[in-house]
Amino acid sequence: MDTDDTELVARLKRLDASGAAPAPAFDYDGMFERHAAAGERVRRQRALARGTASVLVVALVGVSVWRINKQTYVPPKVVDDVAAEVRGSPEPRIVRADTYLALAALEDRIASVDDALSVARSYSPRGAEVARLERTRAELVDSYAQVRYADLVSANY
Amino acid sequence: MQRLAEIEVSDTELTAARAGDGAARRALFDRVAPGALAFIRRLVRHQAMAEDLLQDTLIAMYEHLKDFRGEAPFGVWVRSIAVSRCLMAFRSPWHRAREALDSWIEDGQAVSENRTAELIDLDRALARLAPVTRTVVWLYDVEGWTHEEIARAFERTVSFSKSQLARGHARLRNDLAAPMTASLGIPLGSEFDGH
Repeated sequence: MDTDDTELVARLKRLDASGAAPAPAFDYDGMFERHAAAGERVRRQRALARGTASVLVVALVGVSVWRINKQTYVPPKVVDDVAAEVRGSPEPRIVRADTYLALAALEDRIASVDDALSVARSYSPRGAEVARLERTRAELVDSYAQVRYADLVSANY
Repeated sequence: MQRLAEIEVSDTELTAARAGDGAARRALFDRVAPGALAFIRRLVRHQAMAEDLLQDTLIAMYEHLKDFRGEAPFGVWVRSIAVSRCLMAFRSPWHRAREALDSWIEDGQAVSENRTAELIDLDRALARLAPVTRTVVWLYDVEGWTHEEIARAFERTVSFSKSQLARGHARLRNDLAAPMTASLGIPLGSEFDGH
């Protein structure tokens, strides 16, 4: 401890000796009343917190149940169309299935490219991405036409 | 007023208080409360918070009277309870937020008439220290705690206590070297002067 510290400590001790702290704002009985009031306040806050948490849990469970009930299984449209065509077709199902599934896959792919195209156009109507997607779509439509033609030809034999 | 650490209680008084004798418990309150409040007020800036901590300390004292083994003066035992209550309060996020908000506001510290201007400045400089630093400085310099005892109370290392003490001394020396404004007790040229 250097000289400065010694002097500082001496001053702190003088401060301690000179200090006359204010008297407590409560007496013996008042202390227990304050303590009881503080305990009651804490109990009320905890009860409020528990109540709020319970309401939130009930609300969350309610919303979850409502959402589960609301969701019913909707089969994809493509599967429905393919199934309907297969059912109504005069050809043997095992022969027709390949063609129809290929057509359905192509339709799906074209639809997804259309979605991507509309997004890409909203950002950059003449961008490279739009051009690439348009080329892809054209190729897919071409493939779709060829499969459809092959399907018609095979149906006539 | 007797310093908290110097308060002694006779075995007769203690036995009566432990047995639940109302008069003995009241007498214990009257003996301990002023010194305990003065001690807590040294560590905590706010009077209202100091009174809450005094209440916690004294309630704990009554609840644990049977645990006092008489190895040290009664006041020293109460002081250790008060220190642990203050440290718990310092760890509270509410307390930290309040300290941050009030860091530039001088609290209404009661000033004794027999204090010199030098002691008033020291009092204000002490109040401007961070609570943890202030507590380490006061416990080491005035209450005579060792670094090991402080480290145990804070659940930190001895180096922590030493560095807090060095930081506190440096800050106090710096604040006391700067001329104070008469009304606010703010060192001129400090970060509080609006520049």
